[in-house]
Amino acid sequence: MPLYETDPAWADVTPIELDDGGPSPLVAIAYSDDYAEAMSYLRAVMAADEMSERALALTEDLIQMNPAHYTVWLYRARILTAISADLSAELTWLNSIALRHLKNYQIWHHRQTLVDRLGSADGEQAFLRSMLDQDAKNYHVWSYRQWLVRRFALWADDSGELASIEELLNEDVLNNSAWNHRWFLVFGREGQEEGYKVLDETVERELAFAKAAVRKEPQNQSPWNYIRGLLRQTKRPLAEMKDFASEFAALDRPDEVRSSHALDLLADIFADEESNAGQAKVALAMLATKFDPIRASYWQYRKSLLPSKEAPAA
Amino acid sequence: MSLVSGPGRGGADDDKLPEELMLSVDQHVKYIQSLDTRKDELEYWLTEHLRLNGLYWGLTALHLLGHPEALPRDDVLTFVLSCMHDNGGFGAAPGHDAHMLYTVSAVQILTTLDGFDELEQKVPGGKAKIGRYIANLQDRETGAFAGDEWGEKDTRFLYGALNALSLMHLLDAVDVDKAVHHVAACANFDGGYGAGPGAESHSGQVFTCVGALTIAGRSDLIDRDRLGAWLSERQLPNGGLNGRPEKLEDVCYSWWVASSLAMIDRLHWISADRLQAFILKCQDAELGGIADRPGDAVDVFHTVFGIAGLSLIGHPGLEEVDPAYCMPKAVTRRALGGR
Repeated sequence: MPLYETDPAWADVTPIELDDGGPSPLVAIAYSDDYAEAMSYLRAVMAADEMSERALALTEDLIQMNPAHYTVWLYRARILTAISADLSAELTWLNSIALRHLKNYQIWHHRQTLVDRLGSADGEQAFLRSMLDQDAKNYHVWSYRQWLVRRFALWADDSGELASIEELLNEDVLNNSAWNHRWFLVFGREGQEEGYKVLDETVERELAFAKAAVRKEPQNQSPWNYIRGLLRQTKRPLAEMKDFASEFAALDRPDEVRSSHALDLLADIFADEESNAGQAKVALAMLATKFDPIRASYWQYRKSLLPSKEAPAA
Repeated sequence: MSLVSGPGRGGADDDKLPEELMLSVDQHVKYIQSLDTRKDELEYWLTEHLRLNGLYWGLTALHLLGHPEALPRDDVLTFVLSCMHDNGGFGAAPGHDAHMLYTVSAVQILTTLDGFDELEQKVPGGKAKIGRYIANLQDRETGAFAGDEWGEKDTRFLYGALNALSLMHLLDAVDVDKAVHHVAACANFDGGYGAGPGAESHSGQVFTCVGALTIAGRSDLIDRDRLGAWLSERQLPNGGLNGRPEKLEDVCYSWWVASSLAMIDRLHWISADRLQAFILKCQDAELGGIADRPGDAVDVFHTVFGIAGLSLIGHPGLEEVDPAYCMPKAVTRRALGGR
């Protein structure tokens, strides 16, 4: 059923059929007719570089059928500028498309262009929340969110960002994307704002937060990585975590080990201590044989880095 | 190359699988050859925006399978050149805008098929034009690369630029030091790399960052032990690899994780046997093709990355793959000289 061919608004346009350089033309079958017809009109208006309401409507039609066609998005963005369209209305329309096509990245690039031009982040956090309700680890959404924080300087604790991350981690403490955004909020500000330095008390707050998360779910690599990252970033020794890690793994009670990550950290702490290489070896052997055997070669490598017990014969 | 999925399914006939799984080479070759005959399916047209990538994936899979002649060389070159724009960039298909990702696929195909003479015949000075198109996408302030004139930045595009330019011996056209500096800024607190500074570590982005540093000759900047620990942690008990913590396994990460480990000499930190078993379970042994995981529909994207992953861990009968380029080693050796 041709939609454009019989529409008076399109009577002056001659559609351009596909020429894919090969001998086999588009095989017309019923269910791709609408798409093929709309594409032939797109080729025609793009060839004429037409900037109009009807061309905008045509891109909307095509995006509904195939949101991954990046050329259509770029053309649409140019039309919006050329005809000075209402960008808030565009954003509202875009929300519904984004919620239906979670894996599409063109939508996010388009959004970034719009919100940048609008110059306001109003409503964005609420919309991102509804996106994350559907897929809390969507990489496009998190990348866009970082752009939003930088663009509108949403670093401060009362910006709503940190609160939103706490909420997400309360719902799913395993959400590595949320942990990464938390790190970004704490440390990403350095280098963005002149003279800004992360306070010691902020680092303490973050350590306490990560420790509480480990207690909730000890076998969760995200907060363990976070703790290691905090110590590394602030040049503090791993040994500070010895007591904490020991809560979840003790070398003499292998049946009560609650976290391979705690064993991993303990192995590093023992390795740094003089004359405790033996204990590090025990921890690494437990990982290689019982708690993480699929990476036995990795634990073996870590063992090879330890100083050998006996001094070489003189 | 069409991105139509199916008709096969990974591990569809799981009950019938023999104890010792083998790669169904002939079926995969036939499957890839059949892809462009499926123009009566809507999905063929809806995936038009990936066509040139798909051609690179299919062609590379065939070369690794030891069947480089399975696609007609002239037809492939004609199609690739029909996607080229005056500005030196390539679109996904004729009529699609030029973009870094398709330009890189075009260069990879031209290199694999040794087709630069044909390029110069059709477009005199064509190689230099491609180089200029790519070089113009670099942000000279930050060293990062955009995918097109609209400016979206991603380490995928930076990697693609260095990949294509190095294959054409045109790396001098860009500021490699600044690009390297940008990649280094994408390293995260957990030892991995993301799509940009601050972005979450992701196995696919790790591949692009490690690949870029390897091509630039600056893998000395990588903390191999920390990155290797993060990468090896991606292997799940079923043998498959995931892209991020707490995510599902997927055959494509067989390539991105394993190739990154190979580039930092840590491939032995994961279990090759279990990875091999996982990939083979994702193939449709009768209709050909490989899926993201057992039970799902096959497609050419997962087919090439499954085969490339198997090549990396030394599966018998496959051509050796170059971990930095995802192309046959024999091809990159010829193109780069002495690699």
